Amino acid sequence: MHCHTQDKDTQAQGKTKARGGDLSKIALVGNPNVGKSVIFGLLTGRYVTVSNYPGTTVEVSQSNVAIEGRRFLIVDTPGVNSLLPMSEDEKVTRDILLDERPQAVLQVGDAKNLKRTLAITSQLSEMGLPVVLALNMMDEAMDRGISVDMDALKNIIGADVTGTVAPERKGLKELRAALVRREPRVPDLKPEYGPVVEDYICRVARLLPEANISRRSLSIMILSGDESLGAWLRANLDKPQLETMERLRAECREALGKPVGMHVNEARMKLATEITETVMKKSEGARGTVAELFGRASMHPFWGLIILLGVLFILYEFVGVLGADVMVGFAEETLFGKYLNPMFTKVVDLIMPIQFFRDMFVGEYGLITMALTYAIAIILPITTTFFIAFSILEDSGYLPRLAIMSNKFFNLMGLSGKAVLPMVLGLGCGTMAVMTTRILESRRDRIIATFLLALAVPCAAQLGVIMGMLGALSFNSLAIWIGSVIVVLLVAGFLAARIVPGDQSEFFLEIPPIRMPKMENIIMKTWGRAIWYLKEAVPLFMLGTFALFILDKIHLLGFIEHLASPIVVGVLDLPEKTTAAFLIGFFRRDYGAAGLFALAEKGLLTPVQTVVSLVTITLFVPCLAHFFMMIKERGMKLALLMMAIILPIAVLAGGGLNFILHILKIPL
Amino acid sequence: MAEKEKTSKKVLEEERRFFVDEALQTIWELREHGEVTLAEVAEDMHDEAGVMAMEGEGFIHVKDGKISFTERGEKRARDITRRHRLAERLFRDVLDVRDFESNACRLEHAISAEVEEAICTFLGHPPTCPHGKPIPRGNCCKLYTRKVRPLVSSIRDIEVGARAKVMFITAPAMDRLSSMGLVPGAVVKLHQKRPSFVLGIDETTIAIDEDIASGIYVKQV
Repeated sequence: MHCHTQDKDTQAQGKTKARGGDLSKIALVGNPNVGKSVIFGLLTGRYVTVSNYPGTTVEVSQSNVAIEGRRFLIVDTPGVNSLLPMSEDEKVTRDILLDERPQAVLQVGDAKNLKRTLAITSQLSEMGLPVVLALNMMDEAMDRGISVDMDALKNIIGADVTGTVAPERKGLKELRAALVRREPRVPDLKPEYGPVVEDYICRVARLLPEANISRRSLSIMILSGDESLGAWLRANLDKPQLETMERLRAECREALGKPVGMHVNEARMKLATEITETVMKKSEGARGTVAELFGRASMHPFWGLIILLGVLFILYEFVGVLGADVMVGFAEETLFGKYLNPMFTKVVDLIMPIQFFRDMFVGEYGLITMALTYAIAIILPITTTFFIAFSILEDSGYLPRLAIMSNKFFNLMGLSGKAVLPMVLGLGCGTMAVMTTRILESRRDRIIATFLLALAVPCAAQLGVIMGMLGALSFNSLAIWIGSVIVVLLVAGFLAARIVPGDQSEFFLEIPPIRMPKMENIIMKTWGRAIWYLKEAVPLFMLGTFALFILDKIHLLGFIEHLASPIVVGVLDLPEKTTAAFLIGFFRRDYGAAGLFALAEKGLLTPVQTVVSLVTITLFVPCLAHFFMMIKERGMKLALLMMAIILPIAVLAGGGLNFILHILKIPL
Repeated sequence: MAEKEKTSKKVLEEERRFFVDEALQTIWELREHGEVTLAEVAEDMHDEAGVMAMEGEGFIHVKDGKISFTERGEKRARDITRRHRLAERLFRDVLDVRDFESNACRLEHAISAEVEEAICTFLGHPPTCPHGKPIPRGNCCKLYTRKVRPLVSSIRDIEVGARAKVMFITAPAMDRLSSMGLVPGAVVKLHQKRPSFVLGIDETTIAIDEDIASGIYVKQV
């Protein structure tokens, strides 16, 4: 019944020693959120940003490591729920297996979700890849009264199985042993697809060339309607063969009477279910733990909202007060203000004879006095505290629940609750947030999110100054500021949702259990993100400051101010001096806000003008670094278009607000 | 020659049957609002002679320009109306067919008694059609003296906290659902409906919006 497309080559691969020296390539594969990256870190000793949110393992990491004298190259892959790709992540992982030719796969599975794990194992088995299975999170399984008969499982699937609790390093030894001392075997899992599908599998497989994974598995992918294989197919087949393939695919669908992919998935699940029922026992474990209760409550329409407000409040206290106020205050005024900057100024004055160069480093727009101070004294403390808070939200499993609570709100803007991740990150640093829009599935969603981030989400640096200014004024002014920004956000989102073409991505999210975050993990993640920030963003701040410096020197700055002031004075009804603040705001968000702060302190702004200018600067175009990231992620054309739209919106919104405030005469 | 005659005779008979069924339905519907006049029905069917001929066929009485059913006509009208309205429910609620009315019009002639009961039970003995008109009760409905939950319904309509077995999935997200373990035969638990639908499949919990949820058909266990 099985036609002979057994690729002897791939089968034998697992049994022979690694070719090209003694280096064995091992790919880490598994569902999202099972602890793959943790195990990667434990095996290689290297920590890459360990993330639970699907889509955030964007860069594929690999590392050389020696285990008991044998050298391995371990490749971490993005989490997958199926190797028939339905997302960018899954395509990346499938392609790694297809292109990279690993000698073995270390599959990491969630011990309590054995069915889903085995569904993937069966796909790996079909591909002809040797597998070592690590069932992670055994502790959570035990908590729920779930126990797995490891030996029975090993026998049934014909591959090594180890139970692990990664954060406690349990099972690591056996895992290493399985990789080194025993040759990983190709598991023996054969779902029953039925005669119709089997027939077509053969027919399609015959047309395919030899590949790194079995032709049978490729054939199944093709029949299931895998579009992502297109490139590979076009590279390896000629036109008539491609047409035949298409025809066979349509025929199979027709003959089967339902989507082939669905049929295949069902068959795999059926096999996985059978095996699971044999080896897994579930007794009424400790239910209703505090964590579970909290997890349930945080998604509840009422309690979830309360918890959300609570979380926001804590976030504000931690990042806004501790970070923005205390730490920045210390860093800026004391560290840089009293010690470092004067010291540098003295040094520069000594070694640089020319005033020009002195200014360049320690002048008004100096690289040290402005750029470095900004990046290290102001942004770093704020973003670090933010990253810490964010990592805790991530690791605890709260973030997807936040997505649920905010889903309806985001729907108004044409997005789904998943967008909560980049939008909340945007409150920390917009530059990083733009990068995170990658987790949104459709291009349309990514465009809308990028646009709204640039328009209406103020970064932490700005927020600190703005809150301070509004706090000093009155509660009304704070409320008006928040209200205006939210209104613009919703209206812009609503319109963007109508205008930007494409399908709205559906809301589909896996909700992990609430867990106690591990301090080690938080520190590692925060460290990784802070380093990323220093490497990526700081040079851009330097660049921006330098540009400002040049502009000032050639007196172009004054000229631009002059040009822009009619609008500033006319439409926004603000004093001419505020123009400088807006302009600088393009290079440094907080400096823009700080410029307004300085004016307000001198009594040069009326309350109305304060609110109007702050609303305008919040909506104003993002800073240079953010802009560069927008170009990188969305392309030059879109980025420029967004900027071109945002600028007038900011001005008009400010002008409109000014008008309304004067008409309504609200006390500020 | 004889074959051709036979076929065209058959076609004519069928066409006549369709006409009668439509007319009977029209009369039934008009009767729901009051008296039925020959003029109304004739205008609706665009064929006065055709309607009048139904008296000779034993379906209706025509007296003083008003129409009433014979016992035979009443039964037939009741059956066909029932099938039509059930078919409308099927097409609109389950199959999401936009043009449910004209499709129901066609299906009603083809449904046998057995199929009609199956559809009625499947839909949970719905009392009205999508337009709100009452669906005549059938045998299957009479067997249930209290309101019984439909056999199969979308997960959107079951109660929170219930466990149900997946029957079939029509949502476009079926691939992603299946990779989460949500396949026909799986048992799911509906945790909540607001602010999003949250389902539990074994130890996996997923959140989906109403659109996806409405395409998952389950049977409560």
